[in-house]
Amino acid sequence: MRMSHTIDLDIRGQICPSCLLLTLKEVNRHAAAIRGGGTEIVVTTDDRQATATIPSTADRMGFSTEVSRLDGGYRIRIFGTA
Amino acid sequence: MLEQPYLLIVASSLAIGLIAGFVMHRSDFCVTASFRDMFLFRDFFLMRQMLLLIAVSMVLFEGGRLVGIITIHPFPLLGAPTLANVIGGFAFGIGMVLAGGCVCGSLFKFGAGSAASLLAVIGMIAGSAFYAEVHPQWAAFARATVLVEKKVTLAQWLELPPTLLLLPLATALGFWLWREFRAGRMDRPAFAAGHLAPWRAAVILALLGFASYVLVGMPLGITTTYAKLGLAIESLFAPEHVSSLAYASAMPLNYTPPFADRAISGGPGPQLDAIAALQYPLILGIVGGAFYSARRVGEFRLQWRLPPRQWVSALLGGMLLGLAARMAPACNIWHLWGGVPILAMQSLLFVVGLVPGTWVGARLLTRFVVR
Repeated sequence: MRMSHTIDLDIRGQICPSCLLLTLKEVNRHAAAIRGGGTEIVVTTDDRQATATIPSTADRMGFSTEVSRLDGGYRIRIFGTA
Repeated sequence: MLEQPYLLIVASSLAIGLIAGFVMHRSDFCVTASFRDMFLFRDFFLMRQMLLLIAVSMVLFEGGRLVGIITIHPFPLLGAPTLANVIGGFAFGIGMVLAGGCVCGSLFKFGAGSAASLLAVIGMIAGSAFYAEVHPQWAAFARATVLVEKKVTLAQWLELPPTLLLLPLATALGFWLWREFRAGRMDRPAFAAGHLAPWRAAVILALLGFASYVLVGMPLGITTTYAKLGLAIESLFAPEHVSSLAYASAMPLNYTPPFADRAISGGPGPQLDAIAALQYPLILGIVGGAFYSARRVGEFRLQWRLPPRQWVSALLGGMLLGLAARMAPACNIWHLWGGVPILAMQSLLFVVGLVPGTWVGARLLTRFVVR
Protein backbone atom coordinates (compact mmCIF):
# COMPACT_ATOMS: atom_id res chain seq x y z
CA MET A 1 0.00 0.00 0.00
CA ARG A 2 1.41 3.41 -0.96
CA MET A 3 0.71 6.40 1.25
CA SER A 4 -0.42 9.82 0.14
CA HIS A 5 3.16 11.04 0.18
CA THR A 6 6.02 8.70 -0.62
CA ILE A 7 9.65 9.79 -0.49
CA ASP A 8 11.80 7.51 -2.64
CA LEU A 9 15.40 7.11 -1.55
CA ASP A 10 17.49 5.14 -4.02
CA ILE A 11 20.83 4.31 -2.39
CA ARG A 12 21.85 1.43 -4.64
CA GLY A 13 25.62 1.30 -4.92
CA GLN A 14 26.09 2.78 -1.44
CA ILE A 15 27.76 0.54 1.12
CA CYS A 16 27.70 0.45 4.91
CA PRO A 17 27.58 2.70 6.87
CA SER A 18 26.47 5.27 4.26
CA CYS A 19 23.21 3.37 3.71
CA LEU A 20 22.13 3.86 7.30
CA LEU A 21 23.58 7.38 7.59
CA LEU A 22 21.77 8.62 4.46
CA THR A 23 18.52 6.93 5.48
CA LEU A 24 18.69 8.40 8.97
CA LYS A 25 19.25 11.86 7.52
CA GLU A 26 16.07 11.51 5.45
CA VAL A 27 14.07 9.96 8.30
CA ASN A 28 15.06 12.73 10.70
CA ARG A 29 14.17 15.39 8.15
CA HIS A 30 10.63 14.01 7.77
CA ALA A 31 10.18 12.44 11.21
CA ALA A 32 7.07 14.43 12.16
CA ALA A 33 5.34 13.77 8.83
CA ILE A 34 6.09 10.05 9.01
CA ARG A 35 4.84 9.86 12.59
CA GLY A 36 1.67 11.67 11.48
CA GLY A 37 0.90 8.71 9.24
CA GLY A 38 0.56 10.34 5.82
CA THR A 39 4.19 10.06 4.71
CA GLU A 40 6.49 7.10 4.16
CA ILE A 41 10.06 6.65 3.02
CA VAL A 42 10.84 3.87 0.56
CA VAL A 43 14.52 2.95 0.48
CA THR A 44 15.94 0.93 -2.42
CA THR A 45 19.27 -0.69 -1.60
CA ASP A 46 21.51 -3.51 -2.79
CA ASP A 47 23.47 -3.72 0.46
CA ARG A 48 22.62 -6.83 2.46
CA GLN A 49 23.67 -5.33 5.74
CA ALA A 50 21.27 -2.41 5.29
CA THR A 51 18.33 -4.81 5.36
CA ALA A 52 19.17 -5.52 9.00
CA THR A 53 20.53 -2.19 10.23
CA ILE A 54 17.89 0.14 8.73
CA PRO A 55 14.84 -1.74 10.10
CA SER A 56 16.38 -2.26 13.55
CA THR A 57 17.36 1.42 13.84
CA ALA A 58 13.98 2.64 12.54
CA ASP A 59 12.21 0.30 14.98
CA ARG A 60 14.21 1.72 17.86
CA MET A 61 13.09 5.21 16.78
CA GLY A 62 9.47 4.08 16.94
CA PHE A 63 8.77 3.64 13.22
CA SER A 64 7.46 0.57 11.45
CA THR A 65 9.29 -1.11 8.61
CA GLU A 66 8.61 -3.64 5.87
CA VAL A 67 11.31 -5.28 3.75
CA SER A 68 10.75 -6.91 0.36
CA ARG A 69 13.14 -8.35 -2.19
CA LEU A 70 13.53 -6.78 -5.61
CA ASP A 71 15.45 -7.96 -8.61
CA GLY A 72 19.03 -7.32 -7.52
CA GLY A 73 18.23 -5.59 -4.28
CA TYR A 74 15.81 -4.84 -1.50
CA ARG A 75 13.07 -2.30 -0.77
CA ILE A 76 12.59 -1.06 2.77
CA ARG A 77 9.41 0.88 3.66
CA ILE A 78 9.62 3.10 6.72
CA PHE A 79 6.27 4.41 7.97
CA GLY A 80 4.49 5.63 11.09
CA THR A 81 2.11 3.59 13.14
CA ALA A 82 -0.37 6.40 13.85
CA MET B 1 53.66 -31.48 -6.07
CA LEU B 2 53.42 -30.06 -2.60
CA GLU B 3 55.22 -31.99 0.08
CA GLN B 4 54.43 -32.34 3.73
CA PRO B 5 54.02 -30.22 5.80
CA TYR B 6 53.01 -27.75 3.09
CA LEU B 7 50.22 -29.88 1.64
CA LEU B 8 48.30 -29.97 4.93
CA ILE B 9 48.87 -26.25 5.54
CA VAL B 10 47.70 -25.20 2.07
CA ALA B 11 44.68 -27.54 2.08
CA SER B 12 43.58 -26.54 5.62
CA SER B 13 43.98 -22.81 5.00
CA LEU B 14 42.08 -22.97 1.72
CA ALA B 15 39.19 -24.96 3.23
CA ILE B 16 39.01 -22.68 6.29
CA GLY B 17 39.09 -19.60 4.04
CA LEU B 18 36.30 -20.90 1.81
CA ILE B 19 34.01 -21.60 4.77
CA ALA B 20 34.91 -18.28 6.45
CA GLY B 21 34.19 -16.30 3.26
CA PHE B 22 30.83 -18.02 2.81
CA VAL B 23 29.83 -17.53 6.45
CA MET B 24 30.92 -13.89 6.65
CA HIS B 25 29.03 -13.02 3.46
CA ARG B 26 25.83 -14.72 4.59
CA SER B 27 25.89 -13.10 8.02
CA ASP B 28 27.42 -9.74 6.99
CA PHE B 29 29.97 -10.36 9.70
CA CYS B 30 31.88 -7.11 9.68
CA VAL B 31 34.49 -6.49 12.38
CA THR B 32 34.81 -2.87 11.32
CA ALA B 33 31.08 -2.30 11.79
CA SER B 34 31.17 -3.95 15.21
CA PHE B 35 33.53 -1.23 16.47
CA ARG B 36 32.43 1.67 14.27
CA ASP B 37 28.69 1.34 14.90
CA MET B 38 29.17 1.68 18.65
CA PHE B 39 30.32 5.24 17.98
CA LEU B 40 28.21 6.09 14.92
CA PHE B 41 24.86 4.71 16.05
CA ARG B 42 25.34 3.56 19.67
CA ASP B 43 24.62 0.13 18.22
CA PHE B 44 26.30 -2.69 20.18
CA PHE B 45 24.68 -5.60 18.35
CA LEU B 46 27.74 -6.66 16.33
CA MET B 47 30.10 -6.01 19.26
CA ARG B 48 28.14 -8.60 21.26
CA GLN B 49 28.76 -11.08 18.44
CA MET B 50 32.47 -10.23 18.53
CA LEU B 51 32.57 -10.88 22.28
CA LEU B 52 30.81 -14.20 21.69
CA LEU B 53 33.49 -15.13 19.12
CA ILE B 54 36.23 -14.22 21.60
CA ALA B 55 34.58 -16.14 24.46
CA VAL B 56 34.07 -19.30 22.38
CA SER B 57 37.65 -19.09 21.05
CA MET B 58 38.95 -18.63 24.60
CA VAL B 59 37.25 -21.84 25.73
CA LEU B 60 38.29 -23.80 22.62
CA PHE B 61 41.93 -22.67 22.63
CA GLU B 62 42.43 -23.28 26.35
CA GLY B 63 40.46 -26.56 26.26
CA GLY B 64 42.55 -27.68 23.27
CA ARG B 65 45.74 -26.82 25.12
CA LEU B 66 44.66 -28.68 28.26
CA VAL B 67 43.73 -31.87 26.39
CA GLY B 68 46.90 -31.67 24.31
CA ILE B 69 45.60 -31.10 20.78
CA ILE B 70 47.00 -27.57 20.81
CA THR B 71 50.70 -27.99 21.29
CA ILE B 72 52.13 -24.57 20.46
CA HIS B 73 51.24 -22.06 23.18
CA PRO B 74 51.44 -19.15 22.74
CA PHE B 75 51.31 -19.46 18.97
CA PRO B 76 54.16 -18.20 16.74
CA LEU B 77 54.75 -14.59 15.64
CA LEU B 78 53.52 -13.10 18.91
CA GLY B 79 56.13 -11.14 20.82
CA ALA B 80 56.61 -8.98 23.87
CA PRO B 81 54.13 -6.10 24.28
CA THR B 82 55.33 -2.66 23.15
CA LEU B 83 53.93 0.79 22.60
CA ALA B 84 54.06 -0.02 18.89
CA ASN B 85 51.05 -2.31 19.41
CA VAL B 86 48.90 0.56 20.73
CA ILE B 87 49.96 3.02 18.01
CA GLY B 88 49.52 0.38 15.30
CA GLY B 89 46.06 -0.47 16.63
CA PHE B 90 45.09 3.22 16.71
CA ALA B 91 46.13 3.79 13.07
CA PHE B 92 44.48 0.50 12.12
CA GLY B 93 41.17 1.67 13.62
CA ILE B 94 41.17 4.87 11.55
CA GLY B 95 42.17 2.96 8.42
CA MET B 96 39.54 0.24 8.69
CA VAL B 97 36.67 2.71 9.11
CA LEU B 98 37.81 4.79 6.12
CA ALA B 99 38.47 1.68 4.01
CA GLY B 100 34.92 0.43 4.70
CA GLY B 101 36.15 -2.88 6.04
CA CYS B 102 39.11 -4.56 7.66
CA VAL B 103 41.40 -7.11 6.06
CA CYS B 104 38.81 -9.91 6.15
CA GLY B 105 35.78 -7.68 5.55
CA SER B 106 37.27 -6.12 2.43
CA LEU B 107 38.13 -9.59 1.07
CA PHE B 108 34.63 -11.00 1.46
CA LYS B 109 33.00 -7.82 0.14
CA PHE B 110 35.34 -7.90 -2.86
CA GLY B 111 34.36 -11.56 -3.37
CA ALA B 112 30.72 -10.46 -3.56
CA GLY B 113 31.58 -7.90 -6.25
CA SER B 114 32.49 -4.65 -4.48
CA ALA B 115 35.07 -2.77 -6.54
CA ALA B 116 35.61 -0.30 -3.68
CA SER B 117 36.69 -3.18 -1.46
CA LEU B 118 39.13 -4.33 -4.15
CA LEU B 119 40.54 -0.81 -4.18
CA ALA B 120 40.83 -0.96 -0.39
CA VAL B 121 42.73 -4.28 -0.68
CA ILE B 122 45.07 -2.72 -3.28
CA GLY B 123 45.62 0.16 -0.85
CA MET B 124 46.40 -2.34 1.93
CA ILE B 125 48.99 -4.08 -0.28
CA ALA B 126 50.58 -0.72 -1.14
CA GLY B 127 50.58 0.42 2.52
CA SER B 128 52.10 -2.89 3.64
CA ALA B 129 54.85 -2.65 1.02
CA PHE B 130 55.54 0.95 2.05
CA TYR B 131 56.15 -0.22 5.61
CA ALA B 132 59.28 -2.02 4.38
CA GLU B 133 60.82 1.44 3.76
CA VAL B 134 60.43 2.53 7.39
CA HIS B 135 60.84 -0.87 9.05
CA PRO B 136 64.33 -0.33 10.54
CA GLN B 137 63.27 2.85 12.35
CA TRP B 138 59.91 1.45 13.45
CA ALA B 139 61.41 -1.83 14.66
CA ALA B 140 63.93 0.16 16.71
CA PHE B 141 61.08 2.17 18.26
CA ALA B 142 59.14 -1.04 19.01
CA ARG B 143 62.20 -2.57 20.69
CA ALA B 144 62.86 0.58 22.71
CA THR B 145 59.31 0.68 24.04
CA VAL B 146 58.92 -2.96 25.09
CA LEU B 147 56.86 -2.98 28.27
CA VAL B 148 57.55 -6.48 29.56
CA GLU B 149 60.62 -8.30 28.28
CA LYS B 150 60.28 -11.83 26.90
CA LYS B 151 56.68 -12.33 28.03
CA VAL B 152 53.89 -12.88 25.53
CA THR B 153 50.72 -13.59 27.49
CA LEU B 154 49.27 -12.02 30.61
CA ALA B 155 49.57 -15.39 32.35
CA GLN B 156 53.30 -15.57 31.56
CA TRP B 157 53.82 -12.07 32.92
CA LEU B 158 51.91 -12.81 36.13
CA GLU B 159 53.54 -16.25 36.31
CA LEU B 160 50.18 -17.96 36.67
CA PRO B 161 48.74 -21.01 34.91
CA PRO B 162 46.69 -19.67 31.93
CA THR B 163 43.54 -21.50 33.10
CA LEU B 164 43.51 -19.52 36.33
CA LEU B 165 42.98 -16.30 34.36
CA LEU B 166 40.95 -17.68 31.45
CA LEU B 167 38.41 -19.75 33.36
CA PRO B 168 36.90 -16.90 35.46
CA LEU B 169 37.00 -14.55 32.47
CA ALA B 170 35.30 -17.02 30.12
CA THR B 171 32.74 -17.86 32.80
CA ALA B 172 31.89 -14.19 33.37
CA LEU B 173 31.67 -13.55 29.62
CA GLY B 174 29.57 -16.69 29.17
CA PHE B 175 27.16 -15.65 31.93
CA TRP B 176 26.79 -12.17 30.46
CA LEU B 177 26.26 -13.55 26.93
CA TRP B 178 23.66 -16.01 28.23
CA ARG B 179 21.74 -13.07 29.71
CA GLU B 180 22.02 -11.18 26.43
CA PHE B 181 20.62 -14.22 24.59
CA ARG B 182 17.75 -14.51 27.08
CA ALA B 183 16.95 -10.82 26.66
CA GLY B 184 16.81 -11.28 22.87
CA ARG B 185 19.73 -8.94 22.22
CA MET B 186 21.88 -11.45 20.31
CA ASP B 187 19.46 -11.74 17.41
CA ARG B 188 17.62 -9.25 15.26
CA PRO B 189 15.18 -9.58 12.36
CA ALA B 190 16.98 -10.10 9.07
CA PHE B 191 15.59 -10.10 5.56
CA ALA B 192 18.59 -10.68 3.29
CA ALA B 193 18.40 -13.82 1.14
CA GLY B 194 20.03 -16.86 2.76
CA HIS B 195 20.87 -14.86 5.87
CA LEU B 196 22.84 -16.54 8.62
CA ALA B 197 22.38 -15.14 12.15
CA PRO B 198 25.59 -13.38 13.22
CA TRP B 199 25.77 -15.34 16.50
CA ARG B 200 25.87 -18.58 14.53
CA ALA B 201 28.59 -17.06 12.33
CA ALA B 202 30.55 -16.08 15.45
CA VAL B 203 30.49 -19.67 16.69
CA ILE B 204 31.49 -21.06 13.26
CA LEU B 205 34.33 -18.54 12.92
CA ALA B 206 35.59 -19.44 16.39
CA LEU B 207 35.54 -23.12 15.36
CA LEU B 208 37.48 -22.24 12.19
CA GLY B 209 40.10 -20.38 14.23
CA PHE B 210 40.36 -23.43 16.48
CA ALA B 211 40.68 -25.76 13.48
CA SER B 212 43.45 -23.53 12.13
CA TYR B 213 45.25 -23.53 15.49
CA VAL B 214 45.04 -27.35 15.71
CA LEU B 215 45.96 -28.09 12.09
CA VAL B 216 48.56 -25.46 11.22
CA GLY B 217 49.65 -24.26 14.65
CA MET B 218 48.13 -20.79 14.71
CA PRO B 219 44.79 -18.94 14.30
CA LEU B 220 43.84 -16.98 11.19
CA GLY B 221 46.35 -14.44 9.87
CA ILE B 222 46.51 -12.59 6.59
CA THR B 223 48.42 -9.35 6.52
CA THR B 224 52.04 -10.47 6.30
CA THR B 225 51.08 -11.74 2.87
CA TYR B 226 49.89 -8.28 1.84
CA ALA B 227 53.46 -7.10 2.42
CA LYS B 228 54.71 -10.20 0.60
CA LEU B 229 52.48 -9.57 -2.41
CA GLY B 230 53.33 -5.86 -2.42
CA LEU B 231 57.06 -6.59 -2.34
CA ALA B 232 56.67 -9.28 -5.02
CA ILE B 233 55.01 -6.74 -7.34
CA GLU B 234 57.61 -4.10 -6.44
CA SER B 235 60.43 -6.54 -7.19
CA LEU B 236 59.17 -6.85 -10.76
CA PHE B 237 60.10 -3.19 -11.25
CA ALA B 238 62.85 -2.61 -8.71
CA PRO B 239 64.40 -5.98 -7.76
CA GLU B 240 67.62 -4.47 -6.41
CA HIS B 241 65.79 -2.05 -4.17
CA VAL B 242 63.56 -4.80 -2.75
CA SER B 243 66.49 -7.11 -2.08
CA SER B 244 68.27 -4.26 -0.29
CA LEU B 245 65.39 -3.87 2.19
CA ALA B 246 66.07 -5.43 5.59
CA TYR B 247 62.36 -6.16 5.97
CA ALA B 248 62.26 -8.27 2.79
CA SER B 249 64.89 -10.64 4.14
CA ALA B 250 63.44 -10.92 7.66
CA MET B 251 62.20 -14.41 8.58
CA PRO B 252 60.11 -13.89 11.73
CA LEU B 253 58.27 -17.20 11.39
CA ASN B 254 60.25 -20.30 12.29
CA TYR B 255 58.35 -23.18 13.81
CA THR B 256 57.54 -26.86 13.54
CA PRO B 257 53.86 -27.13 12.63
CA PRO B 258 51.67 -29.82 14.20
CA PHE B 259 51.78 -33.07 12.22
CA ALA B 260 55.19 -32.07 10.78
CA ASP B 261 58.60 -33.56 11.38
CA ARG B 262 60.66 -30.52 10.49
CA ALA B 263 60.69 -26.79 11.06
CA ILE B 264 59.57 -24.37 8.36
CA SER B 265 60.13 -20.65 8.12
CA GLY B 266 58.73 -17.62 6.40
CA GLY B 267 58.71 -13.84 6.20
CA PRO B 268 57.34 -10.87 4.32
CA GLY B 269 59.82 -11.12 1.42
CA PRO B 270 58.48 -11.98 -2.05
CA GLN B 271 59.54 -15.65 -1.91
CA LEU B 272 57.11 -18.56 -1.58
CA ASP B 273 57.62 -19.85 1.97
CA ALA B 274 55.66 -20.90 5.07
CA ILE B 275 53.86 -17.53 5.30
CA ALA B 276 52.79 -17.88 1.67
CA ALA B 277 51.56 -21.45 2.30
CA LEU B 278 49.54 -20.31 5.31
CA GLN B 279 48.07 -17.08 4.03
CA TYR B 280 47.69 -17.06 0.23
CA PRO B 281 45.20 -19.98 0.33
CA LEU B 282 43.27 -18.29 3.16
CA ILE B 283 42.95 -15.07 1.15
CA LEU B 284 41.85 -16.93 -1.99
CA GLY B 285 39.46 -19.01 0.10
CA ILE B 286 37.72 -16.00 1.68
CA VAL B 287 37.24 -14.29 -1.69
CA GLY B 288 36.12 -17.58 -3.31
CA GLY B 289 33.74 -18.49 -0.47
CA ALA B 290 32.05 -15.08 -0.58
CA PHE B 291 31.85 -15.23 -4.39
CA TYR B 292 30.16 -18.65 -4.22
CA SER B 293 27.76 -17.44 -1.51
CA ALA B 294 26.78 -14.31 -3.46
CA ARG B 295 26.25 -16.35 -6.65
CA ARG B 296 24.07 -18.86 -4.81
CA VAL B 297 21.63 -16.14 -3.69
CA GLY B 298 21.80 -14.34 -7.04
CA GLU B 299 23.44 -11.26 -5.52
CA PHE B 300 26.85 -11.25 -7.16
CA ARG B 301 27.35 -8.19 -9.28
CA LEU B 302 30.19 -5.84 -9.90
CA GLN B 303 29.44 -2.73 -7.87
CA TRP B 304 31.50 0.21 -8.94
CA ARG B 305 29.06 3.13 -8.91
CA LEU B 306 30.10 5.00 -5.80
CA PRO B 307 30.47 8.67 -4.91
CA PRO B 308 34.09 9.79 -5.64
CA ARG B 309 34.72 10.62 -1.97
CA GLN B 310 34.08 7.00 -1.05
CA TRP B 311 36.59 5.77 -3.65
CA VAL B 312 39.25 8.07 -2.23
CA SER B 313 38.35 7.02 1.30
CA ALA B 314 38.60 3.30 0.42
CA LEU B 315 42.04 3.74 -1.14
CA LEU B 316 43.51 6.01 1.56
CA GLY B 317 41.92 3.98 4.36
CA GLY B 318 43.30 0.79 2.83
CA MET B 319 46.81 2.27 2.62
CA LEU B 320 46.71 3.42 6.25
CA LEU B 321 45.35 0.03 7.34
CA GLY B 322 48.07 -1.82 5.44
CA LEU B 323 50.80 0.30 6.98
CA ALA B 324 49.24 0.03 10.46
CA ALA B 325 48.93 -3.75 10.18
CA ARG B 326 52.71 -3.96 9.77
CA MET B 327 53.36 -1.43 12.54
CA ALA B 328 51.05 -3.18 15.04
CA PRO B 329 52.17 -5.86 13.89
CA ALA B 330 49.27 -7.91 12.44
CA CYS B 331 45.61 -7.19 11.86
CA ASN B 332 42.45 -7.16 13.93
CA ILE B 333 41.53 -10.74 12.98
CA TRP B 334 44.86 -12.04 14.23
CA HIS B 335 44.59 -10.09 17.47
CA LEU B 336 40.84 -10.27 18.19
CA TRP B 337 40.18 -13.84 17.10
CA GLY B 338 43.60 -15.23 18.02
CA GLY B 339 45.62 -13.18 20.51
CA VAL B 340 42.87 -11.80 22.77
CA PRO B 341 41.42 -15.29 23.51
CA ILE B 342 44.82 -16.38 24.93
CA LEU B 343 45.31 -12.94 26.56
CA ALA B 344 48.39 -12.12 24.49
CA MET B 345 49.55 -8.72 25.75
CA GLN B 346 50.33 -7.46 22.23
CA SER B 347 46.75 -8.16 21.23
CA LEU B 348 45.26 -6.51 24.31
CA LEU B 349 47.34 -3.39 23.61
CA PHE B 350 46.26 -3.49 19.95
CA VAL B 351 42.63 -3.31 21.12
CA VAL B 352 43.51 -0.43 23.50
CA GLY B 353 44.61 1.52 20.39
CA LEU B 354 41.92 0.19 18.07
CA VAL B 355 38.95 1.57 20.02
CA PRO B 356 39.95 5.29 19.99
CA GLY B 357 41.23 4.83 16.41
CA THR B 358 37.78 3.66 15.35
CA TRP B 359 36.24 6.70 17.04
CA VAL B 360 38.54 9.05 15.11
CA GLY B 361 37.80 7.12 11.90
CA ALA B 362 34.05 7.47 12.48
CA ARG B 363 34.44 11.24 13.01
CA LEU B 364 36.45 11.58 9.79
CA LEU B 365 33.92 9.46 7.90
CA THR B 366 30.89 11.56 8.84
CA ARG B 367 32.82 14.82 8.43
CA PHE B 368 34.50 14.23 5.06
CA VAL B 369 33.26 11.08 3.34
CA VAL B 370 29.52 10.47 3.72
CA ARG B 371 27.67 13.70 2.99
